[in-house]
Amino acid sequence: MIQRHILIFIISILIHFSANSQEQRQEKEQDSVKTKINYAIRVGVDISKPIKSFLDEDSKGLELTGDMRIINNYFAAVELGFEDVLKTEDYLSFTTKGSYIKLGINYNAYDNWIGMNNQIYVGARYAFSLFEQTLNSYTPNVDGTYFIPTTVEAGTNFKDLNAHWLEFLFGMKVETFKNLFLGAQFSVKKMISTKEPENFKNLYIPGFNRVFSNDLGIGFNYTISYNLPIFNTYK
Amino acid sequence: MKKYSTLIILALILMLSCEKDDICLENTTPYLMLKFYSFENDTLVKTIDIDSIRVLNKGLISNYTAKSFDSIQIPLDINQYTTSYQITSEKTTDTIYFSYDRKDIFVSRSCGYKTNFENLAIDSITNNWIKAYNINTTTIDNDTTAHINIYH
Repeated sequence: MIQRHILIFIISILIHFSANSQEQRQEKEQDSVKTKINYAIRVGVDISKPIKSFLDEDSKGLELTGDMRIINNYFAAVELGFEDVLKTEDYLSFTTKGSYIKLGINYNAYDNWIGMNNQIYVGARYAFSLFEQTLNSYTPNVDGTYFIPTTVEAGTNFKDLNAHWLEFLFGMKVETFKNLFLGAQFSVKKMISTKEPENFKNLYIPGFNRVFSNDLGIGFNYTISYNLPIFNTYK
Repeated sequence: MKKYSTLIILALILMLSCEKDDICLENTTPYLMLKFYSFENDTLVKTIDIDSIRVLNKGLISNYTAKSFDSIQIPLDINQYTTSYQITSEKTTDTIYFSYDRKDIFVSRSCGYKTNFENLAIDSITNNWIKAYNINTTTIDNDTTAHINIYH
């Protein structure tokens, strides 16, 4: 059964590639006018994080993004950021502080008119975060009201924690002015591994956001980015 | 069509990722469980008629009129290292002085921390209706089995 699935998977990939290569060949035969493809580094900043910091004093953060065309519709993409977030739950409060890097590719599924560089893309990332957690305070969870627990001001600091995860994302980038892009991106994350603090848990990880109980996470970003052209090729 | 299918897949993953970890469903701080046995035959569970249970110098936990129990669950003070209980049965009162260490254990996001008790000991006990006792376990991390047997 598994073998059959593997075969179907391999065959469909091969079919996909053969179909692609045929298309390209036909295009070459038909096109006599050369089209310009520009290669550029697009650098940007996530504007949702500064806005969030402004509205909510418990959360500070910054994220820089960058992407660059490798071949055809494939783009190498990177996100770098840091976060310092205070979270309060029913029985405890903690602070997470750290930085992260995400590396991966985007596939642009949008057919641009000649000269346009807009994107509607899907992508994948490998992400790594280094951070520390501080358990600020907690109140032991006790049934009933006969003994009222007092809040423990723990202030326990857990240093040198890390996490690796994968992200699958979907987003778009639209050129609003010459070389200036507005983008929005939505991602679903799946944890690979984390270094957990002792007698506590990584409930929030910079870049991953809230860690749900099945090790999944979600994230959004809204970016303003600028296209720095490097060179153009003609095909 | 291709674009729609990606959207649908992403929406599905999003729905799966939403799980109820906002509601505390795990066990939290355990109770101390006392079970009553016959003094004459120490394997025989013998019920007892309890009138009241209270912590020394504190309000009543429960007030009954000769209600019959084969076991009781009582809370230990999570702010102190000792708790003294007065249990009244058929108008005679016995006082049990418990001592223990506390250990706070992380449970989950929504439950926070629970307090387990370790090195449980009975420092002293009066013998009006209680004839003997036996500590089955000195570590209290659940309230499913009896921690102390009381013989009467």
